[in-house]
Amino acid sequence: MKVLWLDRAIKRPEAPPLAFLMIMAILLGLTTPGFLAGANLLSIVSQVSVVGIVSLALNQVILAGEIDVSVGSLLAACAFTFATMAHVTSGLLLPLLASVAVGACIGLLNGAIVTVGRVPSIVATLGMLLALRGVVLLLGANGILLVPSAARLFGLSTVLGVPVPIVFLILVFAGLDIANRHTEWGRDVFAVGSNRRAADAVGLRAGFVKFRCFVAVGLGCGLAGTVFAGQIGEIQATAATGFELQAIAAVVLGGTSITGGRGSTFAPVIGAVLVGVILNALTLNSVPGTFEQLVLGSLILAAISIDAVRFRALRRAS
Amino acid sequence: MQDIVEPTSCPATARAEPAVVACRLIDAGKNFAGVWAVRHVDLEFRTGEVHAVMGENGAGKSTLMKMLHGVHLPDEGQVEVFGRIVSMTSPRLAEAEGIAMVPQELDLFPDLSIVENLFVGRKRPRTRLGMFDWPAMRRAALAAFARLDIAIDVDASVRSLSGANAQMVEIARALMHDARIVIMDEPTAALTEREAQRLFGILGELKRRGVAIVYISHRLDEVFQIADCITVMRDGERIHTGPTGDLEMATLIQMMVGRPLSKLFHRTRHPAGDTMLELRNLGRRSAFRDISFTVRRGEIVGMSGLIGAGRSEVAQAIFGVAPATEGQILIAGEPVSIATSRQGIGHGIIYVPEERRSQGLVLEYAIDWNMSFSALDRISRGGFVSRRREKQIAERFRSLFSIRCNGVGAPVGSLSGGNQQKVLLAKALVVEPDIILLDEPTRGVDVGAKAEIYRIIDDLAAAGKAVLVVSSEMNELLSMADRILVMHRGRLTGSFDGPDFAVAEIGAAAAGILVERAEDVALHPGAVT
Repeated sequence: MKVLWLDRAIKRPEAPPLAFLMIMAILLGLTTPGFLAGANLLSIVSQVSVVGIVSLALNQVILAGEIDVSVGSLLAACAFTFATMAHVTSGLLLPLLASVAVGACIGLLNGAIVTVGRVPSIVATLGMLLALRGVVLLLGANGILLVPSAARLFGLSTVLGVPVPIVFLILVFAGLDIANRHTEWGRDVFAVGSNRRAADAVGLRAGFVKFRCFVAVGLGCGLAGTVFAGQIGEIQATAATGFELQAIAAVVLGGTSITGGRGSTFAPVIGAVLVGVILNALTLNSVPGTFEQLVLGSLILAAISIDAVRFRALRRAS
Repeated sequence: MQDIVEPTSCPATARAEPAVVACRLIDAGKNFAGVWAVRHVDLEFRTGEVHAVMGENGAGKSTLMKMLHGVHLPDEGQVEVFGRIVSMTSPRLAEAEGIAMVPQELDLFPDLSIVENLFVGRKRPRTRLGMFDWPAMRRAALAAFARLDIAIDVDASVRSLSGANAQMVEIARALMHDARIVIMDEPTAALTEREAQRLFGILGELKRRGVAIVYISHRLDEVFQIADCITVMRDGERIHTGPTGDLEMATLIQMMVGRPLSKLFHRTRHPAGDTMLELRNLGRRSAFRDISFTVRRGEIVGMSGLIGAGRSEVAQAIFGVAPATEGQILIAGEPVSIATSRQGIGHGIIYVPEERRSQGLVLEYAIDWNMSFSALDRISRGGFVSRRREKQIAERFRSLFSIRCNGVGAPVGSLSGGNQQKVLLAKALVVEPDIILLDEPTRGVDVGAKAEIYRIIDDLAAAGKAVLVVSSEMNELLSMADRILVMHRGRLTGSFDGPDFAVAEIGAAAAGILVERAEDVALHPGAVT
């Protein structure tokens, strides 16, 4: 007889990446000295927390059947805002709020262009990616913006021994997990992404659901921007270039379907950690950094292909 | 049209609880772009009653249902629900009035669980902490299915369900909302015989609970099995309403079809030539089987039957887009194997699909581009398409078919439905096929364009082509075909010779009645030609 909960757990979209992550961890633990050390594990998660936070928010957009590729420039803009504000004021609250506010405004704009202006999200956010980078380049043309050391708290300090970036990651995860289980918006995100026509038929306001997803991405980037600024300590106008691909990779690697509707809140976290583990393993085994892109790219291709095959298999099985 | 005054509902029959009028249409009418899809309809649906609404395609059934379900607001007359005049401008408002619809094409969320599907867009129960109360939702879902006497895993995703079970989810969804009026649109179209019987059991249960059921179906056999009362619609008007028991099947068919249409079109009779296409026991798993017939040069053979009977599938198998898995296809007496549409075209076959927007035409492209898609090799030299030849061909078909357009460079999307259909026909004919398979060639075109399309088809036959026409419009086949084949649930159930067709028998064969006699026909396909 089939064990029902196990059967269902295996069919969850994030099950294969989680299994893959665990196998990787065990293999690396056996072969690479120092990998399973607590400090190393904490540092891996800490390093991926920026990607993790952004991809958790991006996950909502992708679940709803849209995409946001502007997150690279968006993150840079938020980090830039944070660092600039940290120079003019002393406390951390104001820079944090400023960063989140800038993120939210851009998220609002993205959402409005896509849902009110009915521009395909790939086009709208691609435009935003370029335009925002242009703004950052104009404002930050005079070289490197140093983050005041007091303002690097969000990137470097710890709470009860846990790095702040990880605390932020956990809070964002918990918030979105509750939203996805227990709020109308969270549930509707899945419904809209799964079958738009049916969503309209039962009277869901699909546009508004999506709009809020884009705002969530803005908020996520605002928060992640403070961590990002704290971790790297100096911000160039080209900071976080290509970051959007890492974020999308984390979502897809974690098991959320790029076509929307299928996925989970766990997916982006698993995906982000998976990316971190692989990069860490490459470093520990002294693989040249030039291989990173190749390895990550191949992994994404593999993940998407496996997901497509698995999806068809699940359908056939039914 | 309405020659006798009919009652608007059935006289109440003896039952435990007195039936009341759940819903009433009062002189209701709906106008689309100046054409009345439905007009002057007075109709009552009572609690605890299955009321079947019958009629051919285009008779106005769907429009009627959409007025009951808030999709269309009547342009004339009124809708009354439990004695109160209502103005329902959206399905949500209809739902608030206790009216639920189980649509023909199921609108569910495949990636979500069954529980979730039942509650999407509805108020979900919450715990005292303000969280969604998932255990309560599960219990409500289980209770809804228990009432239907169905054991189902409510946590499974809808994607993993069979068509029948997905439909049960739609029904459960309707019941969860305590619907007092349930509209079902062709609910058995996707079900097997056994699943259909289970559905009828559920309908019985709903009746006992005093739900008014509006049941739309083309299947005469099941309507006679389950309906208490039958209304017949034709050309947007109510033709008849009365208890099922008072109605003979032949009478019902006659009422649905009406008199053969005042001749829209006069066939030119021409002698048929050699056998061009022959099927021998053609079959494809779970679609159709044992299909045998012939089509000769100069002959127009019609294919009648209900939607889902397998007619389009047979045509697609001949063409090769969805190849047959058993049996044989012979062309001009030679056995051939056709596994792809490319091979079909190679054998001189062309198939004109029903869905011109999704399968046939690129609406943004010009008329001449659309026509030459399938024949670019004929008008190219050294890999370069000759625009001059392309235009010549387009102009020839334009005048031949009198396509009304603003030049052959105009986008197809700018044409009327009828003219689009002519472009689609032209596109098929550019490759000069010998065998032409037409699937619902006049779907969604106006009467004038229909007549022109009939003329084109007649000309094709006169030119010695073998033509097979799949159509759901009986009058179309009656006035055009040399012979009408009837399919029912994947089998050939009848073959009738023109020009004087036995209308009632064709209708019965489509409903799957007289199967014994029809099987004789199927066994000797040559005997009736």
